Amino acid sequence: MTALQSILKVIIRANATPDAMAWLDEERPLNTAFAITPRKTGKAVITVTDEQAHQLTSIAPGFTVDGWAIDRLVRVYLLLKADKGDKEAYFRAIENLFLAAEMGELVALYSALPVLPYPEMWMKRCSEGIRSNIGDVLAAIMYSNPYPSKYLDQNAWNQLVLKAFFTDKEIGKIIGIDTRANKELAYILSDYAHERWAAKREVNLSLWRLVGSFIDDKLFADIKRLFDDGKLVDRQAGALAISASNYQPAKELLNKYPELVTALENKNLSWDTLTGK
Amino acid sequence: MCCTHSFVEVKNEPLSPAVSLDGIKGMKFFDPHVHMTSRTTDDYQAMADAGVVALIEPAFWLGQPRTGIDSFRDYYSSLIGWERFRSSQFGIKHYCTIGLNSREANNEALAEQVMEILPLFVYKEGVVGIGEIGFDDQTPAEEKYYRLQLELAKESGLPVQIHTPHRDKKGGTSRSMDIAIEHGLDPYKVIVDHNNEETVKEVLDRGFWAAFTIYPFTKMGNERMVDIAKQYGSGRIMVNSAADWGISDPLAVPKTAALMKIRGISDADIELITYRNAITAFAQSGQIDEADFAQAGSTIDQSQKFEGNTILRGGQQPRVDKSSIIIS
Repeated sequence: MTALQSILKVIIRANATPDAMAWLDEERPLNTAFAITPRKTGKAVITVTDEQAHQLTSIAPGFTVDGWAIDRLVRVYLLLKADKGDKEAYFRAIENLFLAAEMGELVALYSALPVLPYPEMWMKRCSEGIRSNIGDVLAAIMYSNPYPSKYLDQNAWNQLVLKAFFTDKEIGKIIGIDTRANKELAYILSDYAHERWAAKREVNLSLWRLVGSFIDDKLFADIKRLFDDGKLVDRQAGALAISASNYQPAKELLNKYPELVTALENKNLSWDTLTGK
Repeated sequence: MCCTHSFVEVKNEPLSPAVSLDGIKGMKFFDPHVHMTSRTTDDYQAMADAGVVALIEPAFWLGQPRTGIDSFRDYYSSLIGWERFRSSQFGIKHYCTIGLNSREANNEALAEQVMEILPLFVYKEGVVGIGEIGFDDQTPAEEKYYRLQLELAKESGLPVQIHTPHRDKKGGTSRSMDIAIEHGLDPYKVIVDHNNEETVKEVLDRGFWAAFTIYPFTKMGNERMVDIAKQYGSGRIMVNSAADWGISDPLAVPKTAALMKIRGISDADIELITYRNAITAFAQSGQIDEADFAQAGSTIDQSQKFEGNTILRGGQQPRVDKSSIIIS
């Protein structure tokens, strides 16, 4: 049993009934156990002590089970407990679970990506998951999940971020959202903002978070628009974007708004405060 | 599975006045047979507005035969995945029954493969029975796969949802029950569907659940249903819409409740026939928790604006103003 399995089992034991624990220790085919898990464990939300959370983070950086239901945790544990000696056989077994999965199972499967063995083997599967339109499944991939930022190539990553905007996800919960910002994404998001403006729809303020570091002549026109035509929150988003930029005309624009400069300097203004997280 | 009527038979007679659902305002309904994959989001919205809090979508045929096993796999998978999600967006708890329908049991090469993947799906969360299974033409192949699926129901401890045939209904219904008993199933765990005045007595006398499908032209009308409720009471009787891709009505359950109310059936009996009995029968799967309905319902209309961002709670869909000519 790996260190990760051990700590997961400790958390499961603290949250599950003795009957469920006895069931968990029995040997049975993975797909059956995986399917019937909620019948055995129920679906109560688990509690995790600070010490358990700390141990978990030290073993699997970025991986968290906060707010999970017990069946989701047990399912992830089952995936880790399965025989993984033969890489191809393991891949087929897990892939088959995806093919016949209901929503709760999909959530567990995608949550497990960062801790599954052979991590590079799940890149395509992760990209496929981003194509889902099921809210909980997308949330399982996007929120507090270290896998995508670590393993997805730039195209797939950009797709994830765009999908997050299209489906009104909380951008701040995406691990690696700032470190994986890139110019191509900034340009795509700028086009997206223009479409929203043309349709007279609101533009998600978090969008400018991913534009800031790449402000150039073209993107600066968008930032200017935030200041010229926008409300206070738009100017605040523009100010935050400029604070990540070295583009001189942008700096000069910001300096015309001393109260925003002050708010930035005093750290009274951040993406978290602006978008309510 | 429904809809064998010919569309040309439908006459253009003036429609009767709209049924007011005011009399049943505040009542909750459970539609234990409705094929939502064939319905639009408008239907979901209308069902939620009329008080439908939960439903069961039985696996059936798609109007034309499938040609390969992957079509079955994707269909079953959509019943526990995408369709369940779609339903949740309108605050309706979605369950399903899984099975090989009688028509497609006649393609034996394919049926064999379907039987192999069924066990993968019947243990999934929210699968409340094996269904809809039974007879269509009453061929030997249909009987073979009906029997095999009864065995699967026994093994998995799940209730059975039986589709009774359109042709030779009375004989087919008796035979379906005979075979279920022969396989040792408890009639209390078997829901016999698409009953009418001719079949109901035997079904109830033998201890099975009797479901009635309120479906225009080919099955029960709800005036006839009121008469049946008056004659047989509310024990082990339930109604459903079986709405699908044919001319059918996803509001059949609330409309029938409204008509029962107008015609003097007690609220307690209406509740049993349009809500409680279906839960009692299918909850024998261990997969129905009424607390989940309340949860699904409580997230309705929770669209919230925060600093210009629309944040939809629980994946809820924003409501569209259908009376406006403007689409934004």
